[in-house]
Amino acid sequence: MKVLSFFSREFKITMSSLSDLLTTLLFFFLSIFVFIFAIGSDKEILNSIGIGIIWSLLLLSSTLSLKRYYNDDFENNSIVVIHMSGFSYEIISILKIISHFIFIQIPFLFSIPLACILINLSFDKIIFFLLSFMIGSLILSCLGSIASSMNLLNKTNFSLGSIIVMLFSIPTVIFSVGLINADNNFYSMLNILFGILLIFFAISPWISGLCIRIALENR
Amino acid sequence: MKFLINPNQFNQFTGIVIKPLFIITILSFLIGLTYSLYFSPNDYQQGMTVKIMYVHVPSAWLALLIYAIMTIYSVIALSFKITFGFIVNTAIAPIGAVFTFICLFTGSMWGKPMWGTWWVWDARLTSVAILFIIYIIIIFLNYSFENKIIKEKIVAIFIITGSINLPIIKFSVDWWNTLHQPASISKLSSPSIDSSMLYPLIIMTVSFALIAVLIGFLRIKSEILYRKKIH
Repeated sequence: MKVLSFFSREFKITMSSLSDLLTTLLFFFLSIFVFIFAIGSDKEILNSIGIGIIWSLLLLSSTLSLKRYYNDDFENNSIVVIHMSGFSYEIISILKIISHFIFIQIPFLFSIPLACILINLSFDKIIFFLLSFMIGSLILSCLGSIASSMNLLNKTNFSLGSIIVMLFSIPTVIFSVGLINADNNFYSMLNILFGILLIFFAISPWISGLCIRIALENR
Repeated sequence: MKFLINPNQFNQFTGIVIKPLFIITILSFLIGLTYSLYFSPNDYQQGMTVKIMYVHVPSAWLALLIYAIMTIYSVIALSFKITFGFIVNTAIAPIGAVFTFICLFTGSMWGKPMWGTWWVWDARLTSVAILFIIYIIIIFLNYSFENKIIKEKIVAIFIITGSINLPIIKFSVDWWNTLHQPASISKLSSPSIDSSMLYPLIIMTVSFALIAVLIGFLRIKSEILYRKKIH
């Protein structure tokens, strides 16, 4: 019941700042346009490098929403209120990861087929793309939780958070693009991607909980 | 061995040790340089360029070793609340960054005549480049927080998280087919390198390690002084 009320609160927050989410989506599409203008609209080239471009742009646009991850709750102390209602900080960060996945990453899921049409991707590859994004975006949410909780008290240099996300997302991007381009080693790529997801899903609540606790003690 | 975790004992110990260490470092570095550059033989295929190895390999080992030391000190400092670990982390991160940069730079210089390119996207090279970026992020993190207490804890957590990269660097030449050669010197088997090249390599490694220790001692001492001043 408490979990449901947590998610309904997150939903209300997302709805109240819907224009922010739509701006992130617009950034994603506009950057694809800029890329295509920059490299030319040759179909062969777009087909060969388009998947990598879209994945890296997804990564960049998901770092845009990083600032809102824990900061608002931390500034107005609602994270302490949630903690007092019976959640430990680790559970809070798990719930935050899941709600970030549902409310921020799922809209990208609907926009990916449109982006894939722009670069002339075939239908099978779009299915694989959606599959790899379902797994990979959850990893990105875990990384966002780590980076944003590390930078809670960092007032001077917040862009370091995006750099930390990009650093740890290197294996994710490698194996996600490998999954889409895989011919006969599809299942091994899928297993490796699931393995990365399980590693980060296991360690990121602990790291985020520890960082939030340190930040609350020292502010 | 208490000087490894206690700042006052560390200051006493380094006060005694630092002058002999300085002389030994200069001597071993001179011996190593002359031995490796003049008396060691040229490779039958690579010629003179094999001598880049005497700088490349020790700096690569030290880059990994310094990160491992930082990881151990982060674990100790976070779990037992020993502040000296944070001092060490702040002090020796730039040394590791410099050694990683030397490793990448000399490797690039060695790769141009041997492989025909300055850089390939090979597993070993890429993972060492990521190690360099991790060092840079650690240095930036050291300068970006206003609150010093939270800064050092966050840096320690980041160091522990980034230590995932160490086994990847070590085993990248075994797990993937890389252009970079696998390790020639390992503990379990006899080295696949001739003794006329092994001995100068060992001397150079020892002298590089001594230089790292010397600069590390000086930086840790100045960090201790700085913290005493602001508290």
